[in-house]
Amino acid sequence: MNDIIKGKWIGKPLDRVDGPLKVSGAATYAAEHDIDAAIGFIVEATIAKGTIASIETANAEAAKGVIAVLTYENAPKMAPWGDGADDRFEQSHGVLVDGTIRHYGQPVALVIAETLEQARHAASLVAVTYDEQAPALGVDRADSELAEGLDGGFEPTNRRGDFDRAWAESDLTVDLNYTTPHMIPAAMEPHSAIAEWDGERLTVRNSLQVIASGVACLANTFGIDEENIRVLSPYIGGGFGSKLGQHYDTILAAAGAKKLNRPVKVVQTRRNLFHAGPHRARIEQRIRLGATRDGTLKAVNFETWSTQAIGYFYTEGPMASAASAYRCDALHWTGKTRQANETLNDSMRAPGEALGGVTFEAAIDELAEKVGMDPLEFRLKNEPTEDPASGKPFATRDLVECMKRGADEFGWADRPKEPRSRREGRKLIGYGMASAIRGNMMQEGSCRIDLSAGGHLTVKMDMTDIGTGTYTILTQIAAEALGLHPDDITVDLADSDNPATAGSGGSFGAGTSGSALWNACIALREKLARAGGFNIDPDEIDFDEGTMQAGDRAVALADVLKDSDGFSAEGSIKPGEEHEDYVQNSYGAHFCEVAVDMDSCEIEVRRFVSVFSAGRILNRKTAHSQCLGGLVWGIGGAIREELWMDERTGGYVNRDLAEYHVAVNRDVPKCDIIFLENPDPKSNPIGTKGIGELALCGAGGAVVNAIYNATGKRVYDLPVTLDKLL
Amino acid sequence: MTANAPDPSDSALPPPIRRTMRFLLNDRPVFLDRVAPDDTLLDFLRIEKRLTGTKEGCAEGDCGACTVLLGTLDAQGRLHYRSANACIVLMGMIDGAHIVTVEHLSPRGGPLHPIQQAMVDHHGSQCGFCTPGFVMSLYGLLMRQPTPDRLAVERALQGNLCRCTGYAPIVRAALSVAALSGTDDPVLAERPTVTKRLAEWRDGSRLEVSGHEAASGNAEPGGATILPSDVPYEGDVSESEGASDNRILRPASVADLARLFEDNPAGRIVAGATDVGLWVTKFMRDVGPLIPIGHLDELRGVEESDGALRIGANVSYTDALDALAERIPAFAPLLWRIGGNQIRNMGTIGGNIANGSPIGDMPPPLIALGAMLHLRKGDARRDLPLEDFFIEYGKQDRWDGEFVEALSVPLPSPDAKIAFHKISKRRDEDITACLGAFHLMLTDDGTVDTIRIAYGGMAGVPKRASAVEKALIGRPWTEDAVESALAAFEEDFTPLSDMRASADYRMLVARNLLRRFFADTQDDPIQTEAAQ
Repeated sequence: MNDIIKGKWIGKPLDRVDGPLKVSGAATYAAEHDIDAAIGFIVEATIAKGTIASIETANAEAAKGVIAVLTYENAPKMAPWGDGADDRFEQSHGVLVDGTIRHYGQPVALVIAETLEQARHAASLVAVTYDEQAPALGVDRADSELAEGLDGGFEPTNRRGDFDRAWAESDLTVDLNYTTPHMIPAAMEPHSAIAEWDGERLTVRNSLQVIASGVACLANTFGIDEENIRVLSPYIGGGFGSKLGQHYDTILAAAGAKKLNRPVKVVQTRRNLFHAGPHRARIEQRIRLGATRDGTLKAVNFETWSTQAIGYFYTEGPMASAASAYRCDALHWTGKTRQANETLNDSMRAPGEALGGVTFEAAIDELAEKVGMDPLEFRLKNEPTEDPASGKPFATRDLVECMKRGADEFGWADRPKEPRSRREGRKLIGYGMASAIRGNMMQEGSCRIDLSAGGHLTVKMDMTDIGTGTYTILTQIAAEALGLHPDDITVDLADSDNPATAGSGGSFGAGTSGSALWNACIALREKLARAGGFNIDPDEIDFDEGTMQAGDRAVALADVLKDSDGFSAEGSIKPGEEHEDYVQNSYGAHFCEVAVDMDSCEIEVRRFVSVFSAGRILNRKTAHSQCLGGLVWGIGGAIREELWMDERTGGYVNRDLAEYHVAVNRDVPKCDIIFLENPDPKSNPIGTKGIGELALCGAGGAVVNAIYNATGKRVYDLPVTLDKLL
Repeated sequence: MTANAPDPSDSALPPPIRRTMRFLLNDRPVFLDRVAPDDTLLDFLRIEKRLTGTKEGCAEGDCGACTVLLGTLDAQGRLHYRSANACIVLMGMIDGAHIVTVEHLSPRGGPLHPIQQAMVDHHGSQCGFCTPGFVMSLYGLLMRQPTPDRLAVERALQGNLCRCTGYAPIVRAALSVAALSGTDDPVLAERPTVTKRLAEWRDGSRLEVSGHEAASGNAEPGGATILPSDVPYEGDVSESEGASDNRILRPASVADLARLFEDNPAGRIVAGATDVGLWVTKFMRDVGPLIPIGHLDELRGVEESDGALRIGANVSYTDALDALAERIPAFAPLLWRIGGNQIRNMGTIGGNIANGSPIGDMPPPLIALGAMLHLRKGDARRDLPLEDFFIEYGKQDRWDGEFVEALSVPLPSPDAKIAFHKISKRRDEDITACLGAFHLMLTDDGTVDTIRIAYGGMAGVPKRASAVEKALIGRPWTEDAVESALAAFEEDFTPLSDMRASADYRMLVARNLLRRFFADTQDDPIQTEAAQ
């Protein structure tokens, strides 16, 4: 266990350091850098599959203010989509390479003009005809193949135990088919980029969660060296997976800037993003569960069918929710997919568990009911001692503690025992619960820190802050390790000239970048201790309030620094063997109450109690907010969010925020969020675990289970909207 | 239909014409002589003025990231501020107004405004992109209500989306702010100066400007503060487009509006532009010549006389709310679910009727109450029962050059039973799937004397359930009567399926809403089981 962390700064609810800039509108997002850029506006394909037969740009080119119209006939050379790397974020994202259309909304031209109005108007003057082909759209079980792999590092199949036997030995079974809809992250900031070239050197300011792979992508797309690329994303207006990689905004801005030899800005409109930005795929899921009469879970089989975008290998695996959940004799899964002419199906917050946390937890609820057990009792009874999917030991496991604590706080004992048995006026009341489990990942990352002679520390890495609070928690970690005040620390992120990290995604950002920074601080402590004349283990020295102290000896940092050129150190981290030898998860449990209107089936989520265990909490304010925000995504996913694809065209029908329903303020009930703070030394040196996605996992499951308890109706085609409760 | 004599107060003479638009932006005046009908305030702020604190999240008034305050004088010359979505405020609408953006709240690098500080203290900002919009919505609230309660805060935030925080920290921040004072609030401190300036600009002139693609102005950063010498911006006048529809015609009075619209029947009248704004940003439609009317005080009255409430065409949902809800309490829950605060501040009841939508939230209640529409063309006026205005989908009984001047809502008897039920997939900030409006009068012995029922979302127009009404009139108001009347819904409606609801759902919920209405008139409201 880490003994240096005393909790002076780590864990404290420090206000976010970037707060004042953000509340005053002074934080500079991608499209807002003061650069004299020409404006690009995207012309979208209106078919899902085919080739461009003709593209007429003369009218647009003649329109006032238009500088150029880029099409595949005249765009700067880019490598074809998918070239250069196996990694989907690093592969070429070349666009306007040829006349092939892979998906509806794919850019077929970029109109560049002096002003937005001119570009937008001229875009309407570009005339395109197509040789259209019948697109492959939607899930087709018969036409699907085993996925290359499932997100989160899962194999596409799992065959632990003898499922047929366990199924045969089960007294009670459920065999359920669910569908989860296309969804979209809909970060509040649309994808935006300003690109400029200086000879062979490309500089991009955009909104990107992972800088290093974004640089590789640009190198592969434009055929230039990574050393010639600089990417900066200091402020990011939300990502949720949609900004893990480079997208059309950035590629087209860079192509346009190269063509014009002047800076070009591209801001994707909200409507364009609904068609050309990354989505969550629609997934069909079959879940078979079997148990004996005493409530022992025997058999679990989880099959999924989804779609991938052409040349973009990504498959989400809702079965992740079953992998570490409950003891059983056999746990099988199969993830199949097919390539379809859909827009990018990609990672969206808590990929896998966001969906399985609804469907699998609903199936467990249904099986428990069949067995005749309280769903909480059923889960407690089937608590595993080893990871059900792999047989490996757990690094930590406190799911039961989360469930018991949550049940107490919520008053689960007062649950209506029979569905549709409690009424208040013309409302039906129900309780539901679900487990929250999310894989805890670590990635590689490195960091450089510079302590100036004046005592100011600068932290440098290419890590990003997508709103999670990275600037703040890194400030706290450095303050804790070096005994500095947060005011004496500057965190410099999201610049590809800084040491590389894995960026923000998969809830690994804080643990990875925080550990890299921690190790850099440990190295710096050693240098400072030596300079201060200590010849003991630096871990024995207390760094606090600008002083190094061990026993009777105290040395002010200022004295060490004043005649120096400052001190620097580097630190790095990679996943330890514990991540291979143990199964690592964050845990939680959700309890909620809903009211369903008898006349209209309108659903009101009334209250939530959620308990989380995510290792050491770095900042109680940011952690709480991450969990509340995640929980609200769970509510939205269960009863609100759904993208409707027009399966004739491959376009989306509800391509705006009026008809794509994210949760609004009054969808959010009273939420009690409780942390079990158990630092996990097997996770990383600072004992943290992933937290950004945990609360989303299972929150929707608790909601749909509560809806069943209220109404007696189970809905298998998510989300549970009012018309499905008829 | 009745024809009325022209209003003697209407001037027969055309007003003086002004060709420079003027407004205040934060602490500076702006003068523009080239403005296009489709120029939006948001693009002007972000691109022309580089005031990028105001964000674009959706460009159609759904997300609130672009919220600004719009300060205008009322008929009595008092200055009021309201929140608005800059993305769908057309530039032609803000002549003579004071626009306040987030940059105005606190000096750069200086102490934060109390609302901003509260947002930091309570962690109301994460990615930060929606944050300025929330700050401005709360600011608008505190301008009207210095110490709001939780409900008021939640209503003020209905039109703002946040994808990060889960909202609760923002609500906590709002509740922690103490009443603002002139010492920490620039807008309060400037109030006398701004009022004076805006009053000076009310000179009875008509504004006529036309546009090229981009507007520009002289309120550059570092320029003069309020009330410098008024040197109009020397615009790029050589760039005349010449197109006759690329114009903004802002009438000086209602008489002037009548004249302008009769002469320009293809003109597009906008009050709050909460619908027409989307034609620009979403559908790239041409909206010129644009005729903004939001400033016309004569259309902003709410007056009771002869047993009816007369509501001017310019009355926003916000301004109508108290007057309507005080007399007909059923309006309160309905009006509080229309759009968000920004939309309610800008959108008007007149516009909700005039655009003819089958899913507007005002027509069904107004039809159930027997409202009359007052239309005007030139000096000729006619009155029309509201239900007759809606002919079929996309078609209304409105002549070229004719506009809605006002609406009269007969005040129901105190004994009337009235309910309006809006059903939408998302409870707040959503378009109606089905809306039922009920207005019942019973005789002393409990027989249905009159009942007027109107629905939205059930047909191509807002429509009365005439067959259902017929089945109920003269019968005792009992569960049996209601149940046996349900079959008549088939005669009245053949709803469509769309993504908001299926036809089956609409039909069933329409019937259930009548059941709910019946149950709510009974002592034990759950005795009637809804069909599910």
